[in-house]
Amino acid sequence: MNPVPRRSDSGSSGGENGEGLVLVTGANGYLGRELSRRFLADGMEVVLAVRSSTARSDVAAALGPLAERARFVAVDLTEAEPFAAVHPALRRRITSVVHGAAVTRFNVDREVAALVNVEGTRHALALARSCPELESFTLVGTVYSSGLQVGRIAEEAHSDEAGFANFYEWSKWEAEQLVLAQADELPWRVLRVATVAADDDTGAVTHHNAFHETLKLCFYGLLALLPGCGDTPLYFVTRAFAVDAVRRLTDPACPGGIYHVAHDRSASITLDQLLDIAFEEFESVDDFRKKRILRPLLADEESFDLMVDGVTGFAGSLVTQALANVAPFARQLYVTKDLDNSRLRSALHDYEAPDAASLVRATCHQLVATRWGRRAAHV
Amino acid sequence: MSGPRTLEPVYVDDFCFSLGHRKLSVEDTVAAGHTRTDAAGLLDAGFRYHHVCDDEQSSYDLAAAAVAGMGDRSSGADAIVYATCLPLNGNVGDVARFDRSKDVKHLMDYPASRLQADLGLDDAIVLGLNQQACTSMLGSIRVARGLLATEPDMRRVLCVTADRFPPGALYEQAYNLISDGAAACTVTKDVGAYKLLAAHQVTNGAMVTADDDETVGAYFSYTHRLVTELLAKVGRTAGEVDWVVPQNTNAKAWQILARLLAIPADRVLCPSMPDVAHVISGDNVVNLAYLTASNVVQPGQVVLLVMAGYGMNWQGVLLEKA
Repeated sequence: MNPVPRRSDSGSSGGENGEGLVLVTGANGYLGRELSRRFLADGMEVVLAVRSSTARSDVAAALGPLAERARFVAVDLTEAEPFAAVHPALRRRITSVVHGAAVTRFNVDREVAALVNVEGTRHALALARSCPELESFTLVGTVYSSGLQVGRIAEEAHSDEAGFANFYEWSKWEAEQLVLAQADELPWRVLRVATVAADDDTGAVTHHNAFHETLKLCFYGLLALLPGCGDTPLYFVTRAFAVDAVRRLTDPACPGGIYHVAHDRSASITLDQLLDIAFEEFESVDDFRKKRILRPLLADEESFDLMVDGVTGFAGSLVTQALANVAPFARQLYVTKDLDNSRLRSALHDYEAPDAASLVRATCHQLVATRWGRRAAHV
Repeated sequence: MSGPRTLEPVYVDDFCFSLGHRKLSVEDTVAAGHTRTDAAGLLDAGFRYHHVCDDEQSSYDLAAAAVAGMGDRSSGADAIVYATCLPLNGNVGDVARFDRSKDVKHLMDYPASRLQADLGLDDAIVLGLNQQACTSMLGSIRVARGLLATEPDMRRVLCVTADRFPPGALYEQAYNLISDGAAACTVTKDVGAYKLLAAHQVTNGAMVTADDDETVGAYFSYTHRLVTELLAKVGRTAGEVDWVVPQNTNAKAWQILARLLAIPADRVLCPSMPDVAHVISGDNVVNLAYLTASNVVQPGQVVLLVMAGYGMNWQGVLLEKA
C-alpha cells in the first residue's frame, strides 16, 4: 500500500529548508509541543491546533519567542466540526498535517477513545483532503496499535485478530485503519512511536506516563505484584529521538507509509532487566534502602487479575489506585513483540540504536533524584 | 572431627483454643460500627462471625480456658512461653491502680506467672513474648524448640497465646475481622502429632509504622520470601508442601499467594475462618485443631504454617504429620 504523492517529488515544499505550512494537532501534548518547536526552529510556517485557550497559553509559554511565528487555531476533537476554525484560505496553503492529538491514557474508556482518537482522526483526514497543496498527512500512532499480537511486528498494517489490552490501543488501530482506507487519496504516513521513557538521553522526565508511574509505585512499596513475564521485551525511546524522527519522516521527500519510531529488539530491555536497574537505582536512596522494600513479584495473568479483582477487600485506596493504573496495560507485559524498524533505518541514514539499559538507568536516576518531579534534580 | 550437630526431633501437639464469649455476626458488628469495612466486603473476604469477650472476660481468662482444653497434657511442662500480640495483654494488673499509686508493679502482673501458678507447674520457667504481633504463636514454637535443643533436661514446653482487644477498639485490622481468643499447644521431645521440620522468621523493623497500604504492598513479596527461605532451610520445595495452614485473612490473598508459590489453591486450609475470623496470633493453632478433628492431614504429609504481623514480622513453621 503506497502513499500517493500529491505534488511532484521535485516540488516538495515542506522540507527541512523551512518551506511549507504545517498544521500540528495536539500541539499542547508532550510530543506535539516539541515537534512544533522543531518545525518552527526549522523555519517552517506552523499552525498549532490546540484545544483551549489555556492550552494555547501553555504552548506559547513553552515555545517562548518561537511562538510569535506560530499561528494558533482552536480545535476540539470532541466537537462536531473540530476544524471549522481552519478557514478555506488557510487550507489552501497547508502542505502538511501532523495529527498527533489523542487521548493517550491506557485506561481511557471506549466512548472517549472512539470520539477523540478514532473520530478525531476521521476529522483530521477530512481536513487533509480539503488541502489542495497537501504533500504529507502524518498520523502519530503507537507501536501498541499492534495490540496483543506476538512475534515479529512489521512496519505494515496489522490485523486486529490478537485483540487489544485496552481501548487506547484499539482506538489507535482503528485510527490507522481510517488512514489506510484513504491510502489512494492521500500522501500518508503512520508513525508508530514506542513508549517515551525520557525527554532525552540524560534521563530527564518532564511528563509522566504509565511507565514512570509504575516505577513510582514500586519505589514507594505499593506494588507487591507486577504483571508480566521477566523476559518480555520493552521498547523505549526518548522524546528527542521521537521528535527528530517524526520531523524527518513527515518531510514529503521521505517515502510515505508505516514506520516504527522505535528501536528493534536488540535495543530493547526485558522486564527483569528493567526491574534490576530500577531497584539498583532505588537502593542508592537511604530511605528506600532502610525500608527494605522488595522487588515486586512477577505474577501470571490469573494471579494479577485475582489481585485486581480482590484488592478492594484487602487494601486501601493507594494500592487500589496503583493497581488501577497498572491493570490497563498489564496484558502487554506478557506479550513478546519483535519490533521491526528496517524502514525507519532506511529513512534515517544516520540512525544508531541506543543502549536501552543506559537510558533506563539514567531515567530511573532522574526519577529518584527528583522524586518523580517533586524535587529539583541534583545532577 | 565432628560433623554437623543433629538436633533431637521435636513435635508439636495438643492444639486447643478458646474464644470470646459473645459470638457476633458480621452484619451485627458492622451495624454496631466496630469495623471500617462494610458487611459485604467482610463477607466477600470469607468472614461470617467473630467472637468478642464480654466485660468480665480477660485475656488471661482466654489463655486459661485454652490450656484447660488440653486437660492433663499441660502437666509436666518444663517451660511456658506466653505470647501476646498486644503488649498490653502481657499485664493483667489493674492499670487504674498504677494511675492512682504510680507504682509500676501494677504494670508487671504477668499472665505467664499466673498460669504457671494456676497449673501448678512449679518447676516450669516462664517467658513472655509480646513484640511479634500476629506471628507470636509461631514465634513461641520456635523459642520452645530452641529451649528443647539447648536445655537437655527439658522435654515439654507449653506455648500459649492470648489477646483481647481493649474496650472500644475496632474489631478490624488490616481489613481482617478480629476475634478475641487464645490458643495453646505443646512442643515436646516426645513423639506427637506433628514433627517440627523448620521454623523461619523475617522481620523488617523499618516498616514498624507501615500504614495499611504499605503493609499490603509488602505482604505478598515478603510472604513469598519467607516461604521460599523456610523451605530452602530443609531442602524442600513448594511442590512437597501438602497443606498450607495460613492466618485467617481475605481468602483471595492466599489464592494469589498459592499461585505465586506454585501450590494448588485447594491445598490452602483455613476451615475455622467463617466461624472464628482472625484470632490474632492463634489462627494456625485454631485451624490445626479443626483439621485434627476432621482428620484431613495424613501421616507423612507436610504442613506449612504462615503468619504475617505488624512489626513487620513474617513467620513460618514447617510440620510433618507423624
